[in-house]
Amino acid sequence: MKFLMAVRGFFLLLVLLTLTARNAAASDQIDFNRDVRPILSDKCFFCHGPDDKQRESNFRLDQAVQDRTKIADLLRRVTSTNPDEQMPPPKSGKHLAVAEISTLQRWIEQGAKWATHWAYVAPLKHDLPKVADTSWPANWIDRFVLARLERDGVKPAPDADRITLIRRLSFDLRGLPPSLQEVESTDLEQFVDQFLASDAFGERMAVWWLDLVRYADTVGYHGDQEHHISPYRDWVIDAFIDNLPFDQFTQAQLAGDLLPESSTDDKIASGYNRLLQTSHEGGVQAKEYLAMYAADRVRNLSGVWFGGTVGCAQCHNHKFDPYTAKDFYSLAAFFADLDEAAHLKKGSDASPTVRAPELRVLTKRERVRAEKMSAEERAAFEKSARLTMISSAIEPREMRILPRGNWLDDSGPIVTPAVPEFLGRLDTGDRRANRLDLARWLTDSKNGVGLLTARIMVNRFWALMFGEGLCRSLEDFGAQGQPPDHSELLDRLTHEFVDSGWNVRHILKLIAMSRTYRQASSNSEFGGRNSEIRSSVPHSEFRIPKSLRQSRFRLPAEFIRDNALAISGLLVHEVGGPSVRPYQPAGYYKYLNFPKRDYVADNDQRAVSPRSWRPERTAVSASGILQVPQFSEAGLRRRQGLEAVASRRVRALAAAIPASDVQGVRCPASRGMHGPATTLEHAAGRAGVAQRPHIRRSRASLRRPHPERGWRHRRIPHRLRLPSRHLANPRRH
Amino acid sequence: MSNLNAITNQIHRRTFLNATGVSLGSAALSALMARDAQAMDEYRPLPHHRPRVKRVIYLYMSGGPSHLETFDEKPVLAKMHGEAMPESFTKGQPIAQLQGQKLTCQGPLIGFRKYGESGQVISDFLPWHGKMADDLCIIRSMVTEQINHDPAHTFMNTGTAINGRPSMGSWINYGLGSEADDLPGFVVLTSEGGRNPQPISSRMWSAGFLPSQFQGVPFESTGDPVHYVGNPAGVSMAQQRRLVDAIRKLDEHRAVGWDSVPTGHGNGASGRDGVPTYNDPEVAARIAAYELAFKMQSSVPGLMDLSGETQGTLDMYGAKPGDGSFASNCLLARRMAERGVRFIQLYHRGWDHHGDLVRYMNICCGLTDQPAWALLTDLKQRGMLDETLIIWGGEFGRTPMFQGKGGPGRDHHIKAFSMWMAGGGVRSGLTYGATDEFGYNSVENVVHVRDLHATILHQLGIDHERFSVKYQGLDARLTGVEKAQVLHDVLA
Repeated sequence: MKFLMAVRGFFLLLVLLTLTARNAAASDQIDFNRDVRPILSDKCFFCHGPDDKQRESNFRLDQAVQDRTKIADLLRRVTSTNPDEQMPPPKSGKHLAVAEISTLQRWIEQGAKWATHWAYVAPLKHDLPKVADTSWPANWIDRFVLARLERDGVKPAPDADRITLIRRLSFDLRGLPPSLQEVESTDLEQFVDQFLASDAFGERMAVWWLDLVRYADTVGYHGDQEHHISPYRDWVIDAFIDNLPFDQFTQAQLAGDLLPESSTDDKIASGYNRLLQTSHEGGVQAKEYLAMYAADRVRNLSGVWFGGTVGCAQCHNHKFDPYTAKDFYSLAAFFADLDEAAHLKKGSDASPTVRAPELRVLTKRERVRAEKMSAEERAAFEKSARLTMISSAIEPREMRILPRGNWLDDSGPIVTPAVPEFLGRLDTGDRRANRLDLARWLTDSKNGVGLLTARIMVNRFWALMFGEGLCRSLEDFGAQGQPPDHSELLDRLTHEFVDSGWNVRHILKLIAMSRTYRQASSNSEFGGRNSEIRSSVPHSEFRIPKSLRQSRFRLPAEFIRDNALAISGLLVHEVGGPSVRPYQPAGYYKYLNFPKRDYVADNDQRAVSPRSWRPERTAVSASGILQVPQFSEAGLRRRQGLEAVASRRVRALAAAIPASDVQGVRCPASRGMHGPATTLEHAAGRAGVAQRPHIRRSRASLRRPHPERGWRHRRIPHRLRLPSRHLANPRRH
Repeated sequence: MSNLNAITNQIHRRTFLNATGVSLGSAALSALMARDAQAMDEYRPLPHHRPRVKRVIYLYMSGGPSHLETFDEKPVLAKMHGEAMPESFTKGQPIAQLQGQKLTCQGPLIGFRKYGESGQVISDFLPWHGKMADDLCIIRSMVTEQINHDPAHTFMNTGTAINGRPSMGSWINYGLGSEADDLPGFVVLTSEGGRNPQPISSRMWSAGFLPSQFQGVPFESTGDPVHYVGNPAGVSMAQQRRLVDAIRKLDEHRAVGWDSVPTGHGNGASGRDGVPTYNDPEVAARIAAYELAFKMQSSVPGLMDLSGETQGTLDMYGAKPGDGSFASNCLLARRMAERGVRFIQLYHRGWDHHGDLVRYMNICCGLTDQPAWALLTDLKQRGMLDETLIIWGGEFGRTPMFQGKGGPGRDHHIKAFSMWMAGGGVRSGLTYGATDEFGYNSVENVVHVRDLHATILHQLGIDHERFSVKYQGLDARLTGVEKAQVLHDVLA
């Protein structure tokens, strides 16, 4: 131990010396939000933060910093080694590292300036920074990125090769691999436009959005009864295909039923409010479940549109952010006009569930189709109209603050709909605010928090294109989240989004056309492939943030499945329609299905969008084992890397063992083997499986002939397995 | 050495940009550094203390067995049979299917007797439990917070009714890893039999926000135990081996970088041809996943193949190979324990006795009583009981009040129910805690689900308060933020 201490001491000294020299160039100026708030939030706010119920010694940090004597005391306490004085106290389990103390000290030396948390300050429209290398930027995004890299003395990664880039664009914007013809394309912009205009783009975006809003085709609690909601899913797909401005997209979902002259599509969209997990178990207490549903809605609203964890304020004021319990229940009150008690009274186990209000509709796409039909055909077609759950305002239920979140406790004060107090208030006069007021406030960049909402969303768009957001905690812009890697760029993009009329496609195109996006992906934490970065920057702190370079990551489960079908030529390009039940191994659902019935899979090879999303464990893959996120807050952020699709071991089995149902493997295999292919690699290339000629070192493995049969496996569902591995395990580079 | 790494990491993380301003006196600095070192101890790897057991076998009686007909004898309730249930108990309390109905007392529907030297009181539905009474620690004072099955299961398994949190088996494997190199560390088996088997969701063995490799893997107790574990017709193990090898080779190329840049820098990267160099942990993990999958192709059939068990053993459990019964699952649990599976959870669905309780208790107990005894006894005979923690219980108990969905039965009840623990470090022959004379409220040594979790972790060498993962800005723990205590009184 002594030895270790000595080593540690020496090491620290060394580090400090090195750093002093190294950091001369770096900014000495402490940025409260970047440097200090994360420390205070994690180590101090629990007792000295916004929650007045938990506050110790009546010491609230944001107020204390106004007072010099209290500040001096703070420094004394955090540096004290006396367990009775030391802060944070040893029993808290929290500990300030030397470096953190030093940051606090410098902050105090520089005047202990407190600043509003960055996510609650409207983004600034920063000027474009100057860069030394003016030839690199392709558009203004690159100016921000390059200026940062130049400041840190690193170079951007070289451009990815064309095929990698086209595959990347294809997966990022449509969730599908490019065709062989597309890979030949040389006009990048035309290519991006073509992808953005495709139906597959709408489906790809829907996969993302439906995760966020916890879309599912079954109820979620206690069984897997289906419910009527698939037209909502079609509406989302079409909204992205039509490039519906995001502010309208928001308003239609939260309050489509309340819009003036609410259209059928608006009503379908209002199904958003009905997406939550519901129980149809006998013996549920209406009051309890209404409380759970209300909380669920606030959690989702907060996670998706606030980028916040308002859910933490269900039982107490938020420990780290300024959300109060009153804010939580006031937000819940917006949804008090939705009647969820009806289905509870019925206590029905029926599948599909009966959950009024429901509307029988033809989706927009179906109506367009119907218009071209003869009267007879049309009448027949209209019979296929689907039911969908919608919102329909009724007399609002009473909403009380539930002490400690306890639904049995009626002693809390009654609240009416209101937005979190620290963010402002809705001006509705004497009229009770409703969901439409909320949706408008969320998307009003002048009188509401539109710019904050927009920032949360552009950050998510960025993450779709880089695997990381500019603020890495996509779902938490609060004090415990991460400050953005590049706040100026994030802010400027936010303005671009709002100024463009909340134009989603515009932002995605802007990102896609940037040089930043085009960079080759690196393959390790430390700069990886870009050896220049690696050699000049030995320490991870100076490496390029993941959000400013490209990365490799596994594709979501849906893409893997669609990829297999697309390569095999089996993918059916037809958008929307009733949900279908994907293939599953026999008995896969037997613990869950209630009331007991057999699971019958549909034979469906459309792209993934019309598949059935199940809160339980969606099996979307051809082999029936790949999984998408379970129905929960987890959907707010999909995992990447190896965790992308649930249980690694089971998945490896599904991938490693050719399941007889994987038709996707046979088709490219036979296509690949047709004609005079001499190597598996050629075959794979022809089959459209691997459009990556740069896998040099893979060739040795690919080229290996079958030990007994050489290259001549003609009738081979199982033999030609290498391409199937690419099928089952594609990465986006 | 890893300690030092942790320290240097720690120093890197924040010091790098910020340390220029350090102007604390050197004395203060060294004192603070000593404190840093102390704090570093918090980071030391699990276990936190010497583990008492290696594994947990959790016999999960899904549906909610009645405590009043198993381990909690209530003579007063018998006398009150048919009378109105005093409103002082029930007013304002959560209630499930009996909402709005007249509440009358339902006396115990079976007799009880004392067993063993300890004199533990056990109902006549569970004669085999009687035989192992001296090995059990019966907890009569459980409470939970959720009154409907799905949220109650979620609460029992994850410590909260909010979906998306890790289950205890996932936490434990995340913390301790698996002892088995050819089987998952967390395996779930289910059986059914009894009244109206209620659904059970895979959320109950979900890894939540923990890495998904720690989620429970459900094994089928009939047919192929794991989907796709067998090769398709015409594919031999040798072919399969070649396949996995080929995938490994492809993955290895990725691991060293697909553009063949000489890798002299990264972690353990040698860059020499033909030597696997894993500087990408994701790919290394993926290679490992394939290897495990391949090993499982032989280990799983081996695990499930009961032909090596003697007839005596099969009879002891009452197991017929391949019947998917709780008895077979108990025998499989022992075999998994032998093979190093860390957390084994056996769900038996059928305990939701809203009506015809006697009939269904006979079925449920008939299916589970002897196998539970056999499992404990078998482990004991093999010297494994002492390194295993066995837990028996459901997601809640049942009301002292009558419910009559076809003959007398009982509704869901969360204010009191019984569970038992046995095995390593448990005070056997002990009855812990008590309910009131109606069996309505737990009143003495009340044990919350969180306390149970804290105790399970403790037996595995984990301090529940120091075992956390950052999630949504919180240090999320299995036991949550409310106070939880290790039940030292039930531990030897």
